[in-house]
Amino acid sequence: MSIFAILLGLAFGGWLMAALEGWAVHGRFSLVRPLASALALLGREAVVTRKSDRLFFETAPILLLVAGLLAAAVIPLAPGLIVADLATGALFLNAALAYVLVALIMAGWGPDGAYAMIGGWRFLGQFIGYSMLIVMPITAVAMRAQSLSTTQIVTSQAALWNVAYQPLGFALFVVAAMALAWLPPFDLPSGTGDLAGGIEAEYTGPRLAVLRLARMVVVLALAGAVSTFYLGGWLGPWLPGWAWSGGKTLAVAALMLTLGRHIPRMREARFLEFCWKAGVPLALVNIFLVGVIALVVPI
Amino acid sequence: MNALSGARQAMPGGLRGLVARAMAADLRAFVVPGLDIARAGGLDPAGAGLRLADTPRHANVLLIAGPLPPDLLKAACVVWAQMPRPRAILALGADNIAPLPAPDAIGALSQDGLAEGVATLRKAFAIGAFARNVTHFDAPALAARIEYTCPMHPEVISDEPGKCPICGMFLVEREVSGAAPAGDGDHKDHHGQGAHEHGKSAPAQAAQSDHSPHAAHGDAAVYTCPMHPEVTSDSPGSCPKCGMDLVPQDEGDAQSGHAGHSGHGGHEGHDDAQDIPGIEPHFMSMVELTEGKPASPDGLIMEWIEVPFGPFFPGLPGGLGLILTLDGDSVAEARLHGAKPIPLPSGCPVAELPERLAAAFPLTHVAMRALAHRAIAAVGGGAAAPDAAALERERIASHLNWLAGFARQMGLVRLERQGAALQRVLVGAAAADIAAAAPGLRRFLDRVRRTPLLRSKLEGLGGLTGAKGGPVARAAGTAADARAKDQAYDGLDFTPIAGGNGDALARLMQRFAEIGQSLDLIARAGTIASSRPSSPPPSTPPPRAGHGMATVETARGPATLHLTLSDGTVERAHLTTPFEDLAPLATDMVRQMELADALISIGALDLDPRRLAA
Repeated sequence: MSIFAILLGLAFGGWLMAALEGWAVHGRFSLVRPLASALALLGREAVVTRKSDRLFFETAPILLLVAGLLAAAVIPLAPGLIVADLATGALFLNAALAYVLVALIMAGWGPDGAYAMIGGWRFLGQFIGYSMLIVMPITAVAMRAQSLSTTQIVTSQAALWNVAYQPLGFALFVVAAMALAWLPPFDLPSGTGDLAGGIEAEYTGPRLAVLRLARMVVVLALAGAVSTFYLGGWLGPWLPGWAWSGGKTLAVAALMLTLGRHIPRMREARFLEFCWKAGVPLALVNIFLVGVIALVVPI
Repeated sequence: MNALSGARQAMPGGLRGLVARAMAADLRAFVVPGLDIARAGGLDPAGAGLRLADTPRHANVLLIAGPLPPDLLKAACVVWAQMPRPRAILALGADNIAPLPAPDAIGALSQDGLAEGVATLRKAFAIGAFARNVTHFDAPALAARIEYTCPMHPEVISDEPGKCPICGMFLVEREVSGAAPAGDGDHKDHHGQGAHEHGKSAPAQAAQSDHSPHAAHGDAAVYTCPMHPEVTSDSPGSCPKCGMDLVPQDEGDAQSGHAGHSGHGGHEGHDDAQDIPGIEPHFMSMVELTEGKPASPDGLIMEWIEVPFGPFFPGLPGGLGLILTLDGDSVAEARLHGAKPIPLPSGCPVAELPERLAAAFPLTHVAMRALAHRAIAAVGGGAAAPDAAALERERIASHLNWLAGFARQMGLVRLERQGAALQRVLVGAAAADIAAAAPGLRRFLDRVRRTPLLRSKLEGLGGLTGAKGGPVARAAGTAADARAKDQAYDGLDFTPIAGGNGDALARLMQRFAEIGQSLDLIARAGTIASSRPSSPPPSTPPPRAGHGMATVETARGPATLHLTLSDGTVERAHLTTPFEDLAPLATDMVRQMELADALISIGALDLDPRRLAA
């Protein structure tokens, strides 16, 4: 039951977000267009490049989809409305999202095209930047909840959402999440001006449809993680819990999809510099502050 | 005959009918030669309901904006072959696009023509996306063979693998288009997967047709005047008769000789590891892969790959051929070449010259038309009609066009749309309309200047000094501007704006400052003469014989035309454009830069690769 509800939610959210992304990229909002695009992709030829690494080429979009779905499985929509309420949910989320990197490198290597390959390796560089900023803010969140379970993390915010309790961690986590989902301005593996599509450049037809769907699932899973870790998940007055967590997730995803398009694409060196020289120290400060607050004022 | 030239082979009907209608609603265009040309032609693909694709693989419409020279047509064939079926061609203002198949829709190069074409395509997709029998597309440009070359010495080319005789490095394989021993491409089956074998490499890795760099320009080069072939010298200098810069005599040979020596190879060397004994195939050993490869200045030994970025790369000007040899993700070597020179048919009547020149340079057609008129007038010893305001209007539109493309390159899609919209307003606007739009335009530029992180992204990137003219030189503090000596600007109180340290940010700011200056100049001029004077310049009747030259400061820098007329026809015409000045500087500039930085730096130069054959 929960599985169906979550999948339905993902499908609905993915559709809304695709419409929103279409608006952000092409300047027109249409709810029909994403459906037409998806249907049209299914009817197009699925081209395989001549010297492709067939295994990597075929597996990458599916692996990405699986990684996104696994990450979404530990996001609670409401008490009990969760696919797998693991005691180590926050850690599991991390582990699932690690496969995004693998999938992208495979997608880059697979088709034997220069743009895709450069895109794949670039994402490896990006990973070195964002990975610590995913893990370290989660550490601080788990410290307050005294648990890695995502449902306990939500209930721990009953008095005060983490976005107010640890705003530094929230900011770092959102930046890292956008880099993980290679959203602008961190779209180095697929940037138009740099790589003409990059890792997506050689995918066509149904494979491209799966790749785009998978990316949207990853974005939604990350937005769900932000809402769970920092925005109190299902907590909120009047409305039912699933409406709160769903609404928060969609709002976060919408911001992640649109905000970055107003600033120029990040330079890789600058991103790494930011992550390691500013991000990691700030994340350590965040952990320290949360530790002190948790000891001094128990809220 | 199918309703759609690029239909996909399948039984139509049923569920496929629904899919076909979805495709008709979801048209995605890949624009050749480029969005800059399309915008200069007044096109707004998004306004006509088209979405833009970054790569041919994601497109189902090949949008041809204006006539294509033969070398770009060849590259367009590769793009067409890379597009997945069902696919269609929409040709605007292009009559002959062979060897591409006949277009599914044609129209004039205008927004109306585009809108009509899109409507036609939607119908064609809805009924003809799938067909039982499909026609197969093949063109000489798609024939491919493998050759081996040294990453350090492009002149070393071999049919089989081996080591470079000069430096001992392993030769890398690459795919070469054209002139192939036929028969290696089995293009029979079009059942999906087999179809696009020839389009193996990524999108704008499309056919680069020529210009392998060449060891020819050595010490023994002979220099000659483009206008006076009898003048020769063994050192560079200027012509004693007309004062033009001498050019190497073998330049013409270098351009025609090496057809097909650079391909659209993807990356090389993946298969090297297959031969390593004791290691299963496909296992990569970095030691083996990088053996014999040169170490970068940073000491890392990486695989070198040669990647074409052009002529249809979405982040660069349309038609610009850029080939980067990448060492990891830094640029080890760059080759930049313009479009193949467009020949001006000998015996072209004098009266036709302005329009021919304008057609050859769609990005700066007003300036080129003015240049031709002035050169013709100079032959007769007269002066052409003042045209400063029209030139300034084109400068604003051209800078905005560049801004839209540069914004797209940096991922600023909203800025791209705004820049393009303003450019459409200004093209062909009357002086009063421009005065009305000026405050909004200035506010827009101020907003762009304040774009978060823009300054930190561009600062210190692609510093370039040594350019002789144009915004690039002025952004480096050189106050070179042909307008300062231009009679058309007399009384307009023109002084060149110059300053800055020559990096990409300075070039952006320079163009913004020039837009503001051009607005002032137009306001002072009061009216704008028609940009297409059908009547000849005032020195009627046009001179029939003699020599003349003229210079116009185009949006990209000074263009100089030397003209020799005889008997009412053009005997010789030699055009110098800013591209020749900037291209060698640009290749030096990007060496050892990170790939994205290199592309941004080149994008900030605003190159127009079109040239005129001497």
